[in-house]
Amino acid sequence: MNLLEHEAKSLLSISGIAVPKGVLVRNDSTPPFLPLVLKSQVPVGGRGKAGAIKIASSESEYIQAVSDIMSLPVKGHTPDLLLAEELLSIERELYLSILVDRSSQLIQVVAHNNGGVEVEDNSHFNLWSIENTSDVDHIGQALADYYDIPEKTFLLQDIVEQLYKCFIENDATLIEINPLILTSEGFLVAGDAKITLDQAAAFRHDWNFSQPETNNNFVTIDTHGMVATVANGAGLAMATVDAVYDFGMKPANFLDIGGGATAETLIIAFNQIAAYADVKAIVINIFAGITRADEVARAIITASNSISHLPPLFIRIAGTNKVEAAAMLKEASFTLYEDLESCLIAAKEVVV
Amino acid sequence: MKNVFLGKNVIVQGITGTHGRFQTRAMLAAGTTIVAGVTPGKANEVVEGVPVFDSIASATIFHTIDISVIFVPAPFAKAALLEAIHANIPLIICITENIPIHDMLVVKRALETSSSQLLGPNSPGALLPGLHKLGIIPASLSLPGKTAIVSRSGTLTYETMAGLTAKSIGQKYVIGIGGDTIHGIGYIDCLKLFQEDKDVDRIILIGEIGGKEEIDAANYVSSSVTKPVFAYIAGHHAPAGIQLGHAGAILNSDNESAGAKTDYLASQGIITATSITELIHTFSAD
Repeated sequence: MNLLEHEAKSLLSISGIAVPKGVLVRNDSTPPFLPLVLKSQVPVGGRGKAGAIKIASSESEYIQAVSDIMSLPVKGHTPDLLLAEELLSIERELYLSILVDRSSQLIQVVAHNNGGVEVEDNSHFNLWSIENTSDVDHIGQALADYYDIPEKTFLLQDIVEQLYKCFIENDATLIEINPLILTSEGFLVAGDAKITLDQAAAFRHDWNFSQPETNNNFVTIDTHGMVATVANGAGLAMATVDAVYDFGMKPANFLDIGGGATAETLIIAFNQIAAYADVKAIVINIFAGITRADEVARAIITASNSISHLPPLFIRIAGTNKVEAAAMLKEASFTLYEDLESCLIAAKEVVV
Repeated sequence: MKNVFLGKNVIVQGITGTHGRFQTRAMLAAGTTIVAGVTPGKANEVVEGVPVFDSIASATIFHTIDISVIFVPAPFAKAALLEAIHANIPLIICITENIPIHDMLVVKRALETSSSQLLGPNSPGALLPGLHKLGIIPASLSLPGKTAIVSRSGTLTYETMAGLTAKSIGQKYVIGIGGDTIHGIGYIDCLKLFQEDKDVDRIILIGEIGGKEEIDAANYVSSSVTKPVFAYIAGHHAPAGIQLGHAGAILNSDNESAGAKTDYLASQGIITATSITELIHTFSAD
């Protein structure tokens, strides 16, 4: 779950890291203070390039900027709110983040001398791994050496400890301060912040952020695809998409219905699929392990009965309780295929 | 190193839950020796004929434990894992999914000072057809034989196994390492096991988009594996930057794509396919 900038800054601020003075605005005609910078609160990067960050020095500039940014979509996201912040006198812009590194399976602090860099674009980052909490004790000194601001050693040590605490206490998987601004007054302030929280840890937090839970399970691949796919498990769902393509058909979507496939999940999925204009077949590929095939079959029958004009279903179900599932689907006049290959061959007949 | 997958005495942590109960029955039916179940507060219950204990410590008074299979719900999984790790159970298999990443970081640290090895979390477990079933892989679709399968995905593992069984090609090992970012036993541990096991003749590696574990595995194959290795990387048509289902499957950079990984695996002498159906055809024609 990715937080908006103002939500991320509020978490940083609670942990003790300095953030610019700021207020949220919507359509207010009076600027809270001047001059200020207005920043679109959307959950994606690239705001600067899109024109979604503007400086206003007068009331008329402010009114114009609010109206411009509020109606400007950034990568498909239009803001509900803008963050109005004080302007900082910038001496230097640095990069600092903390994340869970997949390769080493450790927490890492990542730094770069140029704020504003994109992690993906540049490999010249300095890294410090945290195996034990005591490793944090040495990173402030190392950062001060790396950034070449020895007089900020103690301040950087505070920031790294606060960052680590914020990371652990909030079950974050990424906190990125980019840029970390060194002001001409000598303060270190989080100019922009990005925080990703681990959705799996939601049970132990009282999270109330604006972003809806991301649905990783339904992803559109091609709005003009001819074959929609439904599978259980991410790997099998990807493999089903690959196989559709290998059989010479254009897949429309990826869908992992997971272990607990209910009729409600499938109704939502079928409705999304029905919205694709060119879909001529729905391939359902279920391999039941911890899932019970008969429960999935029941969900398929209920969901398909509740939606009219659904493209034909090509169903393959294997695994736990397959026999019961097969009997139920036959009773409901569905054809069942033994394996994915025969299922795709049959689907191809109606698609091509 | 001792082959921990051949351990005999199995316990089930979380045996009294819905999945624990159902899968205990399935494991027993597949020939697994389950000596005890563990659920705090449920001592003296009996599940499918298996006695339940409050803790691993009380179960070990009566039995030597070789393997634990964990079905404990995610909020309590860290505690269950640490209990098994502190008991030095040689092989711990964690089926539970959606365990917070910070909990797994703690578990990883604890493993460093234990003799335990962890498979998972978010793993379907391991199936050694004809010997025993350690987890949720459906045994009915397997066939004893000489192929070894290792995969990051659950259901795609079953698909591969069932595809081989349909062609009368049996399996010695079917192992799912789990799809989470932070996990235990990886591809290389399994490849080493398969290379050393004289009963294994050919190996199948199933990968996915995201991360670089398949690349490390390919390097290991070219340096240390003499048996034929076949591979399929799922997600050739995955859009960039979007997480597909579970945590591990996200395409962050070009060299994490299915195409790039497939090319690299092929360059290291692995026989590759672009779909699971092609993989089964190639493997059975070999």
